[in-house]
Amino acid sequence: MGAAAARPPPGLGALSDETGLSPAALMRLHERFQALDRDDKGHLSPADLQALEGLALNPLCERIVGAFFPAGAQRADFPTFARVLAHFRPAEGAPCEPGGPSSPGSKLRFVFELYDLDGDGQISYRELLQVLRLMVGLEVPDEALAAVAARALREADRSGRGTLCFEDFAKAVERLDVDRRMSIWMLK
Amino acid sequence: MVGNAEIRFGRNRESKQSDEFEGGLWFVRHFFEESSEEKPLPIWAPDTKRAARARALQGSQPQSLEEDVLRENTSWAAEEAQGNESLEHAFFSLDYQHVQVPFEITLWIMLASLAKIGFHLYNKLPSVVPESCLLVFVGLIMGGIIYGLNNKSPPVMDSDIFFLYLLPPIVLDAGYFMPSRPFFENIGTILLYAVVGTIWNVFGIGFSLYGICQVESFHLQDVSLLHNLLFGSLIAAVDPVAVLAVFEEIHVNEKLRILVFGESLLNDAVTVVLYKLFRSFCEMPAIKTVDVFAGVGKFFVVGIGGFLVGLTFGMIAAFTTRFTKNIRVIEPLFVFLYSYLCYLTAEMFHLSGIVAIIACAMGMKRYVEANISLKSHTTVKYFMKMWSSVSDTLIFIFLGVSTIGENHEWNWPYICFTVIFCLIWRALGVLVLTFFVNRFHINTVTSKDQFIIAYGGLRGAMCFSLVFLLPDFHRKQLFTAATTVVILFTVFVQGMTIHPLVDLLDVKKKRESAPTVGEQIHIRFLDHLLAGIEDISGHWGQYYWKDKLEYFNSNYLQKILLREYDQPKSSIVLLYEKLERKHAIELAEAGQLGHAPSHPSLLNSHRTVIADRKSEDILNPDVLKNIQEILARSLYRIRRTVPAYNRHTLPGETEPTEQAKEILILQHRSLWTEISESDTFSSRKESQKADSYSAQGDSSPKPKLCRSLTVENAEKAQELKHNRSKSVCVISPLQPSGTAWVNKKETEELTPDI
Repeated sequence: MGAAAARPPPGLGALSDETGLSPAALMRLHERFQALDRDDKGHLSPADLQALEGLALNPLCERIVGAFFPAGAQRADFPTFARVLAHFRPAEGAPCEPGGPSSPGSKLRFVFELYDLDGDGQISYRELLQVLRLMVGLEVPDEALAAVAARALREADRSGRGTLCFEDFAKAVERLDVDRRMSIWMLK
Repeated sequence: MVGNAEIRFGRNRESKQSDEFEGGLWFVRHFFEESSEEKPLPIWAPDTKRAARARALQGSQPQSLEEDVLRENTSWAAEEAQGNESLEHAFFSLDYQHVQVPFEITLWIMLASLAKIGFHLYNKLPSVVPESCLLVFVGLIMGGIIYGLNNKSPPVMDSDIFFLYLLPPIVLDAGYFMPSRPFFENIGTILLYAVVGTIWNVFGIGFSLYGICQVESFHLQDVSLLHNLLFGSLIAAVDPVAVLAVFEEIHVNEKLRILVFGESLLNDAVTVVLYKLFRSFCEMPAIKTVDVFAGVGKFFVVGIGGFLVGLTFGMIAAFTTRFTKNIRVIEPLFVFLYSYLCYLTAEMFHLSGIVAIIACAMGMKRYVEANISLKSHTTVKYFMKMWSSVSDTLIFIFLGVSTIGENHEWNWPYICFTVIFCLIWRALGVLVLTFFVNRFHINTVTSKDQFIIAYGGLRGAMCFSLVFLLPDFHRKQLFTAATTVVILFTVFVQGMTIHPLVDLLDVKKKRESAPTVGEQIHIRFLDHLLAGIEDISGHWGQYYWKDKLEYFNSNYLQKILLREYDQPKSSIVLLYEKLERKHAIELAEAGQLGHAPSHPSLLNSHRTVIADRKSEDILNPDVLKNIQEILARSLYRIRRTVPAYNRHTLPGETEPTEQAKEILILQHRSLWTEISESDTFSSRKESQKADSYSAQGDSSPKPKLCRSLTVENAEKAQELKHNRSKSVCVISPLQPSGTAWVNKKETEELTPDI
């Protein structure tokens, strides 16, 4: 394992340009990738990620894991892994490819896509309710949760369609400084 | 009690008769520490003391207690300037001694409060001059008056009174209402500024002042290095009271405020350790390296010990409130009692009382608020604010009063250099530390923020009290003078100019808009997301620890500390309820004002409402919105005017809940009118958009639900819950009466409901 860790993954330079992560950060990620890949398969499967006990207890576990395995794929190679995590690169500092994983707005879009499971570009009332139910647990009664979801939707929905488009979502979270929150120092 | 009285007032002095009634201001002497005056015994002094006094006065043997007291009374009466006759014969006598202490205390508090009213009467004043300045000014005037009348130094504020009575309410208020999310997000930076920054300041100021003392022309050769370091340790600390007072009025952004404020609170640990350390060094003949290491170790003990004491008391307080369901009236008392006990315990062990009380308040807040009733919560909030406000005002006034007088040695070079060094070292400290913070943190502190942090390092009453606690040595008055000037400088100059500077530099201000439920949801979502990503990437960042703490909390702590049958409500639901409550109150008020006189019958009964509605069945959907609004308002009114309809009659609820739930019920009922409207009048799409009550979501399932509801009976409302599997939002009404009402509308019956 030690020898494998020292070898840089193939295509490091291109990956670095694409994601905006520095080569040092990519090396760290590669080590982590290899640590997570328990059977030394060379790629990750959902079970590998779900074996992390902290993640298993996370209410958003499936959605997060799902982000690494788009469209039902069962394997995630290192570039995919790096691309997803590149969303969490601290935005201040090095420029990257526009439209790449850590360009401004891309972080928000990543979060938006986590809400929007069916991929229609809109967060509907049901999707919001599902997320709420995941996060809040079982103790809260249905009606309260429904009322909360209704209110949240009402606050953010400016077009009156009853769903949130990306712009509505961006406006709703603009006070939260999402870009700063979604930054992991390790990826600097 | 007697012991306390002695410590507070007498400090083991010889008790002789007091001889004054000069100008009505003699009472102030008895409240403060005095240099040479004597005081009459308070009423609770034991009789032996009175006997001794009587003996001293008259040199005769005491016979019986009554005779003693009588003789004393007569002797006192005889000596009073007004020359009252013996008390037995007076119809109308003045016995000021009896009420003296409470009377004086109340008078001071009254003065402080009246001053506050005075400032706010003139609207423009608080925005130009911060309140603290005005209060110090009032204090200066009072001090001047006392000085002028008595020709002696006015009394100085007793340090015990400050530390034991005036400071705890302010710190408790600060800790209880500290926004915990920004605080813990920035805790690393705050601790860095508080600990390392304070140490930097102390040593910087101490050494540079020592350097100044070496200059021969200033006549300061005899102030040793140790004295200078001691002085540095008390002057370097940023004061929470002053910072709070000034930053209240400049609405800078949350992060900046929490940085300065958190630092001012947490540096208490460092101040306490360094002050005591240097003070003990001053008294020790020789200092060994061991002592220095002991000092460092002591710092950890003081800080961490204070934190643990606070946390323990907080958990005990939370546990106690679990059982207060049947005695709601004294619930607020527990909050205050435990916090104060915690502070006193920490002070008893020479730990940091401020850190303890902050830890206690922050630790217990979550559980206590879940356990106590809404009214108790309001009481706690208002009492805390009131006490801290009174304390704050008193502190600044006493600061002003104590400035005047002859306690000071005005060595201007030393004083000026103190002020200059305070500013310089603070600025340098902030710059260097921020450099390190920005390298290791995502959360950068901009240079504008840095400037405000440096400039906002105000000193206040804490320094003042510490300087008066110094042991008497020949240069003490130099230090008191320097401290006074520094405090006045920071309060007046920095306090007044910080507001224009904030505007000038265009520092990011606090966003004033109200919190929304959506934001809460998204914040939580991001928390979980980040925790998961940190897990995956193997990085143990703040979200990771936060997640772990939450897990521990929900699985262990909540089970112990929260009342069993209460559902722990998530912050999202709590915020939602709070907002809905406000909304409902606004509606109720609007309903009162805008009540349409054309529907007087709506006031009275449910039946009439239905009757009215029936008559408007034939109206077109355009008037629908009006009807719905009127109904909504009327529904709320009906609820209030029918006294028999109390919370206990709501079936399906396990225990009486507060207004919020009622409002939620109300909303759902109106929601049902919406839904049934759309179904009945066949105007689905339009109706759902109009009213503010409508849940904007999938419009399609709702008519379906509605139909299913109207077919079923009220008792079968529970079955609706099973629809969850279809992943359709089910808004089941909380009470059959709502369904019954809808049913009635459909079936056109008029059975009275309530």
